[in-house]
Amino acid sequence: MTAGAALDVVELAAGVVLAGAVLALWRKDLRALISVLALQGAALASLAAVLAVGDGDVGLGVVAGVVLVTKGLVIPGLLTRVVRADPGSRETAPLVNVPASLVAAAVLVVLSYLVAGRLTALFPDPLTRLVPLGLATVLVGVFVLVTRRKAVSQIVGLLLVDNGVALVAFLLTAGVPLLVELGTSLDVLLVVVVLQVLATTMRARFGHVDLDQLRELHD
Amino acid sequence: MSTTAYLVGLGAAGAAALLGAILPARRRLFGAALLSAAACLAALAGAGRVLVSGHPFSLHTAQVLPLTGVDLSLDPLGALFVATTAVVGLAAACYSVGYGAHATPSRTATAALPAFLATLLLVPAAASVATFMVAWELMALTSLLALLTEHRRRPETRDAAQWYAAMTHVGAAAILLGLVLLATHAGGQTFSAIAAHRGRRSVPLTSAVFVLTLLGFASKAGAVPLHVWLPRAHPEAPSPISALMSGAMVNLGIYGILRVGEDLLGGGQLWWWLLVAALGVVSAVFGALHAAASTDTKRLLAYSTVDNVGLVLVGVGAAGALAAGGERLLAGLVLLAALFHLVNHALFKGCLFLGAGALQHAAGTRDLDRLGGLARKMPATAVLFAVGALSISALPGLNGFASEWLLLQGLLHGFASHSATTEAALLSGVAALAITGGLTATAFVKALGVGFLGQPRTEGARGAREVGPSMLAGMALLAGGCVVLGVVPGVALPVLDRAAAAGLPGGAPSALRVGLGLDLASLHGAIEPVLLVTGLLAGILVIWGALRLAPRHAELRRPRRAEAWGCGRELQTARMEITATSFAEPLQRVFADVLRPDHDLEVTHAAESRYFPEAISFHQRVDDAIERVAYGPVIAAVAWWGRLARRVPNGSVHRYLAFGFAALVLILVVLA
Repeated sequence: MTAGAALDVVELAAGVVLAGAVLALWRKDLRALISVLALQGAALASLAAVLAVGDGDVGLGVVAGVVLVTKGLVIPGLLTRVVRADPGSRETAPLVNVPASLVAAAVLVVLSYLVAGRLTALFPDPLTRLVPLGLATVLVGVFVLVTRRKAVSQIVGLLLVDNGVALVAFLLTAGVPLLVELGTSLDVLLVVVVLQVLATTMRARFGHVDLDQLRELHD
Repeated sequence: MSTTAYLVGLGAAGAAALLGAILPARRRLFGAALLSAAACLAALAGAGRVLVSGHPFSLHTAQVLPLTGVDLSLDPLGALFVATTAVVGLAAACYSVGYGAHATPSRTATAALPAFLATLLLVPAAASVATFMVAWELMALTSLLALLTEHRRRPETRDAAQWYAAMTHVGAAAILLGLVLLATHAGGQTFSAIAAHRGRRSVPLTSAVFVLTLLGFASKAGAVPLHVWLPRAHPEAPSPISALMSGAMVNLGIYGILRVGEDLLGGGQLWWWLLVAALGVVSAVFGALHAAASTDTKRLLAYSTVDNVGLVLVGVGAAGALAAGGERLLAGLVLLAALFHLVNHALFKGCLFLGAGALQHAAGTRDLDRLGGLARKMPATAVLFAVGALSISALPGLNGFASEWLLLQGLLHGFASHSATTEAALLSGVAALAITGGLTATAFVKALGVGFLGQPRTEGARGAREVGPSMLAGMALLAGGCVVLGVVPGVALPVLDRAAAAGLPGGAPSALRVGLGLDLASLHGAIEPVLLVTGLLAGILVIWGALRLAPRHAELRRPRRAEAWGCGRELQTARMEITATSFAEPLQRVFADVLRPDHDLEVTHAAESRYFPEAISFHQRVDDAIERVAYGPVIAAVAWWGRLARRVPNGSVHRYLAFGFAALVLILVVLA
């Protein structure tokens, strides 16, 4: 693979990650959200694989495999089990409606480009130029956390943040050490499992998984 | 040598706190007290050496605090405060063995006293802004902990602790602000570096620093209007802690004013010291008035602390004003008198607080109206309490008289200072001294007469028994100090002279001739308490002998015994005696505008006729007028703000997340 083609793949993968985050804001169907996550996982894995091939780094190659398995397969699979228990569940009434969310996402992308300018100026390089995409993914992920009501949407928001962080890490450090990636992947997996259990329990106890109706717990 | 002794003292106090926390319940109290007493003795030796030799010590270690390290230095001024604390601490440690013995003392309670003691010993030796603030805040924390140790048994302690915490927190913030402001303009944070820059700072800056630190130190010292925590915290704390708070911690407020105003800022402006003196006058009169009106023993003592701190502040303010006017001899004399009074106050107030604790311990109440007749049940406590009460009322032959006499002499001699404002301040100081003298005597005649004489008013007072030897020993130590410093005040003067000279920038010439009594060499005025006491005793002996020898009528020969304060009646019941409330009533009537007592009189009439009352109930509360007027609106405003703030977190996860998100975006926007 030539260097030019490798860069094209990396740029495409980074673009897919951000596009996935924006898609997550747009789609209300929870199943669609999960496929978005799987897509992002695959994009991240391919990005890592391309970088590994370019550098001849075996460790990074293993990381790519781990990312593909956890983010591309296991986590979406776990989430699908949650959604399957409650078919037809949709993010019906987000706190900020879809058009406004998309406008906000645009603003966040612009903001992350403005902020990342300083980072990229430190080491101008084709890879670091893509860092704003990762930052924007993080911000959109937090935005999903803030504005979406369903427990599954919250998990998706959290995973978007995690994917954005992973993207930035791949781009800036030219490969995360295997140990670190393994650790974070396990952490995320654990969080998803815990949230899955929580969501299931919530449905069993309250008959819904709408976090906004939990505020009686406050007093 | 002095360094080692002082550090051993600090270490032993820390170890005592640790022992109090880990020893098994039976040995806990004794082990901690023993080690605390040893700590006090070591610190006393170290500080005493600095005081006697006049050579300060200083040391720096980079290991303890990150970035700045710890700077310790003990000059004669600081050493005087360390020595005073050590003496009161020794008595309190001794006393705590008996005081805590009736119930299994908790780990916290046992550890709190030595920990508090260690911080008290540390503060006067701190020699940099960072060290000072750390020591100061540790002192606030440990004293708060010590105050709260009985909160399970007495919930009202929590209210007092809240007041204390709020006041000390605000004060510490003001001090921190002032000292940081000073350090940033002095090119260093050690006290020696700041003091070396004395002349090179602008007047507005130094004035701002002085006012800010004065705010903080006055709140710790308990000067009106920042005194509100004192009458709450001192009564609620366990008695050894009250003694330490009133006899040692309050002093450190005065220490701070002297250290910052005189040492670090170099004396500064005349109006600073007039402000201090004005605070002192108001505190003295207000405290003495409330002490005269209080019926709760410890509340009475707490207000009397406000009164005495006021007198010390009058002295400090007058000394600063005289020094600013160039009268160095007089300034040194007045400061010496103020420091002397501070030491004396620590001795007699410590003794009185320990005595009040003994009363509470024996009779189960602090309310004077429920005590009475205790002189018979607890004769030793009564005598020791009486020594303290007579000292604080400034009777000749005891230490209160010596220092108040010196203060009065200094203030009166200052009238030749040719500055109208200074003279006005001195005059009001003299007036305050006079009026508080009378009011304090009233307050303590009340405490002694109603509490110890007459007949017991309640079952609790009737069943009171003498307290144990360790408690008596603690009180006797302080009472003995009162007597020694009262009869031969001259022995303390060289030491105090050194401390006063260290307290004024550039030192001060000594106005006193060395001897057993007090002799103002160049200023005309001398008093010899030894002769006074000898004369007094001889007079009493002569009268007693004359009465024995003189021929008397047969009727006079037959002795008839009656209770003291029993009015000599044949038939006397406790209900007929004068109570503390009624004793204070005339004073309350005269000063009703300041004290503003709330009366509540309820008369239930007989059904047959309105001329025959069936029952009369009378309730009276004397609240602190300053607290009501000045603090009420502030507390209401803070409560309103708190209610407003509670609406923000409504329990919605999304709202909390949105706060974080908004903050993140805001930071990014600022960065971009």
